[in-house]
Amino acid sequence: MIDVKNITKSYGKTQAVRGISFSIKEGECYGLLGPNGAGKSTTINMLSMLFPPDAGQITIGGIAIAKSNTRIKNMLGIVPQEIALYDKFSAWENILFWGSIYGVKGKALEDKAEDLLKWVGLFDRRKEAVKDYSGGMKRRINIACALLHSPKVLLLDEPTVGVDPQSRNLIFELIQQLNKEGMTIIYTTHYMEEAEKLCNRIGIIDKGLIIAQGTLDELKTQSNVNDMILVDCNQAPDEKMLNDKLKTTVSVSENRISILSGDSKKDLTRVVTTCTDAGYEINRIDIQKGNLEGVFLKMTGKQLRD
Amino acid sequence: MFIILKKELKALLKDRRAVILGLLMPIILITVFSLAFGGINNKSEEKKIQLLVCDEDKSPITKQAIAGIDSIKMLEVYTTTTDSALALVKAGKYPAALIFRKGFNDSVKAIRPLPWELKYDATQAIEMGMMQQYLAQSLFANVGKPMSEKMILRNARKQFSGMDSMSQAIMALQMKKSFETNSGDMDKLQQDIMKIKSAPIAQAQNNDGLVQALAGTAVMMLLFSLTAVGGRLLEEKENGTLKRLLYSPLTASDILTGKIMSAMVFAICQLFIMLTYSSFVFGLVIIPKLGSILLLVPAIAFACSGFGMFLASFVKSREQLQSMSTLCILIMSVIGGSMVPSFLMPHWMQNVGHASINYWAIQGFYDIFSRGIAISDPVFLEKVGILTAIGAVLTAISFSLFRKNVTSMA
Repeated sequence: MIDVKNITKSYGKTQAVRGISFSIKEGECYGLLGPNGAGKSTTINMLSMLFPPDAGQITIGGIAIAKSNTRIKNMLGIVPQEIALYDKFSAWENILFWGSIYGVKGKALEDKAEDLLKWVGLFDRRKEAVKDYSGGMKRRINIACALLHSPKVLLLDEPTVGVDPQSRNLIFELIQQLNKEGMTIIYTTHYMEEAEKLCNRIGIIDKGLIIAQGTLDELKTQSNVNDMILVDCNQAPDEKMLNDKLKTTVSVSENRISILSGDSKKDLTRVVTTCTDAGYEINRIDIQKGNLEGVFLKMTGKQLRD
Repeated sequence: MFIILKKELKALLKDRRAVILGLLMPIILITVFSLAFGGINNKSEEKKIQLLVCDEDKSPITKQAIAGIDSIKMLEVYTTTTDSALALVKAGKYPAALIFRKGFNDSVKAIRPLPWELKYDATQAIEMGMMQQYLAQSLFANVGKPMSEKMILRNARKQFSGMDSMSQAIMALQMKKSFETNSGDMDKLQQDIMKIKSAPIAQAQNNDGLVQALAGTAVMMLLFSLTAVGGRLLEEKENGTLKRLLYSPLTASDILTGKIMSAMVFAICQLFIMLTYSSFVFGLVIIPKLGSILLLVPAIAFACSGFGMFLASFVKSREQLQSMSTLCILIMSVIGGSMVPSFLMPHWMQNVGHASINYWAIQGFYDIFSRGIAISDPVFLEKVGILTAIGAVLTAISFSLFRKNVTSMA
């Protein structure tokens, strides 16, 4: 459905995307996971034809994107990172407007708007101005506005930023439902658990490059990651000292130490001893079974929140 | 307290452009206002009234009269043909034309009412009072005096035909003294024989004050309103809706065209509301002039919309838009005659004012309501054309700037 070949993009001297390639099959939910500034939004903007890549090629639905191709634009539904709504307008007015600019008109538009508002659980409050909505409600309308024209592909650029856990779960359910119905989805995020939960395949993007991609299991295998031990200390630990003593991938962020482990039960004692010997008071220890955070740490040598 | 002070100053200085504009704006405005109101060099250069003079008679007496007018310190005299002078006054480019008709010299000799006319721009009637005073003094000295002498000598010869020429001259001298001291005789000469036929070049509506207030205020406020409409483009850029619009099948040109059209609709409504209000409250006659109004109002709306979009496409933030628009609109309003009628400004400043939307819009309204110029008259159409051209140029630049800035949206 989507084929991206070696695309690059620079802003002045800064190279935001440095040769990204990936393919997405129809009906797949592909996650682009990376920290802020990794090049996720730039990639989404190129896919959505906001600007062309400096080099490389993008094909959507078998059509190579050109400067302006209405057919491709009509195939795409885009949920931007910002809550891009007219906040003085009601949800109903917003949804009708965003549908109409994609050429949906009349009763078809009104029926679709009603369905979508019911689907996101905001039909009863459709007449209220968007500015009076909570962050989570605005995010749901933001998604609904991208679906009026029944796109084949949905691009979601960090759609849960600043959302409470309850609304986040609701958004997850909506996205999972769309994917089940056969919609192809590209989902960018810097939250591991979102990518793990929603995406069939994940591309890990860092500094403008996709450094690994595949299913979660494939990524774990590629990076040979099993468990991760997380230790919260009373002070900022010395990362170099811990790396030297534990002889494994260790990352420190503020007072938290993340240690990749092949056998967490065996390594736990060694970790506790090393920390205690260094004079760190341990507040909390967690053991996470092999997950994306571990993969990311292994691949990039840093935690995603760095 | 001092920590807050330090933080505030630091925050202020971070936005250098805003600081520069904030400091420069009052200086620029004081300078423009002073220049417009003649506050600079007002000792060395008093504001002169321009007068076109047309000599159809080309006789020694008309030449002498023109030389006399030319020597009046408060007048700036240009000689030209009658047709050209009438066209220039009609177009509002000069306030008045004094025409010495053919046969002027013969009338002086025959002591008949003199064939001369003062044609003036109806919108500048205030200046005509002053102008006529200056003219009366000079023309009496150069034309009236020789005429009165001739008249007295003729009367003396007639009355004292039995006397010798020496006695007739003595009697004439006495009559001249009596004539000069007898204001009734003098008035008769001035009123009956020397009287200049003075009339506005087109039918005057006698509503200059209202037209000035309406046109001046309307255009200035329209510029502010439409800059605010342009500001919504920046607001959309800031809140992400512009990016979302660009994701859609709409092109950048579609978006900007839609914005300009909405600005125009708003502008047209605003102007019509002002005109209707002036009609109901101040008695401005608009129905017979509806055709001209329907032509001028969209042209003004287009020019003002283009200006608003140009500024919005040019600046980078709403803060910059606010500073820039205030500066540009106030300057245009001063030099273009929104705040004070153009004819009260120095001539060079009036010429500078031609670069403003306000000037052409106000002159257009004067053409309709004060000068009574017809819709098909090139004088009126010129203003409509210039406003449309200003709108087209500003819109074209806006499109170019907008497209250039599209890639910086992400």
